[in-house]
Amino acid sequence: MTTRKSDGLQERRVLVVEDDYLIASSLAGTLETHGAEVIGPAASVQEALQLMAGEARLDAAVLDVNLAGDRVYRVADALLARDVPFAFATGYDAWIIPDVYAGVPRMEKPVDPEALIRTLAAEVARRA
Amino acid sequence: MRGTGDEADEGWAIDRGELLELVVESAADFAIFTTDPDGIVTSWNTGAERLVGYTEEEMLGRPADAIFVPEDRASGAPEQERRMAVAEGRAIDERWHLRRDGTRFWGSGLLMPLREGDTLRGFAKIVRDRTEHHLVGERLRESEARFRLLARSIPQLVFATRGNGDRTWGSPQWCDFTGLSEPDSLGYGWLDAVHQDDREATVEAWQVAPTAGEYYVEHRVFRAADGTYRWHQTRAKPLVDSGVGGEWVGTSTDIHEIRGLQERQQVLLAELQHRTRNLLAVVQAIAHQTRRTSGSLDDFEVEFENRLRALSRVQGLLPHAERGVVDLRTLVEAELAALGGNTDIAGKVTVGGPTVGLPAGAIQALALALHELATNAVKYGALGQPSGKLTVTWRVAAESDQSWVELDWREAGVRMPPAGTPRRRGYGSELIERALRYQLRARTRLDFRNDGVRCSISIPVPANEGGRP
Repeated sequence: MTTRKSDGLQERRVLVVEDDYLIASSLAGTLETHGAEVIGPAASVQEALQLMAGEARLDAAVLDVNLAGDRVYRVADALLARDVPFAFATGYDAWIIPDVYAGVPRMEKPVDPEALIRTLAAEVARRA
Repeated sequence: MRGTGDEADEGWAIDRGELLELVVESAADFAIFTTDPDGIVTSWNTGAERLVGYTEEEMLGRPADAIFVPEDRASGAPEQERRMAVAEGRAIDERWHLRRDGTRFWGSGLLMPLREGDTLRGFAKIVRDRTEHHLVGERLRESEARFRLLARSIPQLVFATRGNGDRTWGSPQWCDFTGLSEPDSLGYGWLDAVHQDDREATVEAWQVAPTAGEYYVEHRVFRAADGTYRWHQTRAKPLVDSGVGGEWVGTSTDIHEIRGLQERQQVLLAELQHRTRNLLAVVQAIAHQTRRTSGSLDDFEVEFENRLRALSRVQGLLPHAERGVVDLRTLVEAELAALGGNTDIAGKVTVGGPTVGLPAGAIQALALALHELATNAVKYGALGQPSGKLTVTWRVAAESDQSWVELDWREAGVRMPPAGTPRRRGYGSELIERALRYQLRARTRLDFRNDGVRCSISIPVPANEGGRP
């Protein structure tokens, strides 16, 4: 796999939270291809929070909303508290997501790999 | 001009007589006639001729009772009327009357005694035809009665109101439903039965109603029977004749169940979308990963299609999984049966284990793993070699707070590649050793033994699920 140096996620540490292994490994693969370092993936809220606690540096995150029936919002809140930019990758329509996350980009599954990189890079650049 | 008072009085007396006659004759809309004390007609004006149909000649000397309908005559109404007139100085006559031609009219009039000193000389009667008026009133009363009946018999809570929400009437259902008495409901008292959080919207809707020409709001209304609030749809419209400034009539309809269903439907729709898109994401991932492990485009096509078919088979089982009724045996047999078309597996396969209800979340991943095991068994293992045997068994192992479904996939009699041959750990290995562990917290083990593949998969299930079909 080639690494594209021009991407805005080069050497960024990106947390992946997604309960389906196939989707998670696809997301991770896409991120790694673009030079990011994947933290996780985590399949549950608890795992994601544990991973976050152990990581001093997180640059971005991509979150599935429904984790085997649990909602991911506690992870989202922890990311907001740490000012880590993130995006939702979900099969849900926007109205399901609470208004407090109105500013968070929502990517519809199946996620376009290009859009994933573009969206996260834009969020990271906005904080820089 | 007359010169003296006497002359004037006399002249006036004459004039008055003429005048009276003139008035009586020209009052064509009024039947005016006189009778003697016994009710025998002594005069009969043009209005009476016109209204009743008898000429003066026909009626003079005859009982005026002829204009009463037979049933009133039989019940003595004419005599009663005369007695009343004598006793009270007048008697009101509001009733159906009879014309010469047998038709009836609603007459409204008065009977007055004519006296000379203390002596009763007869009666004067004046009657007007009020048939139209009476019928209109009657229709209105009937219509009103029908409305009230309707308002009382439909399940909706009906009310009459002014165009600003100021209520003037509420159906008994409203009072029964809310427990508010009618007096307490009038004006804006009805608002007490509306949920506190919905009152503002309820009042605001009345503010825009006159402009909109109708009132519409969905709000919760108190149900006295069980002390709960139920969603109602309340609408009102002005009565056509009275315009927005006049009387409005409205209904409140219980839409609690429908609203609940709509909400559930929305949730179900959202879940369906979520699942569909998630499934597409899985397909996308499978395509991506199949491409990575395929030697050629032809290989890709075969493998990708086989995996899609496995995915498709399991979609058919998922609705049953919601009710916890997908048995592990169903899943195993479905995957083996899918091979049946091009492989003779009869006599090679033994399947056995208790009835086990699988958790919904485990089914898809497990099915994909079983698919890879079965496909590989056909390509390289027990199902592709004459002496090969496959045994698939499972049991439920209970631990303190949860159970495990332990599946054992055991191939035997397989001629394995010589030791030292580099073994491609393919997609099946990834699913078993990584996906099941990641997604289901499963314990898995995949061994390539001398006589065939052995795979064990332990899936955690809630303690009360284990063994239940």
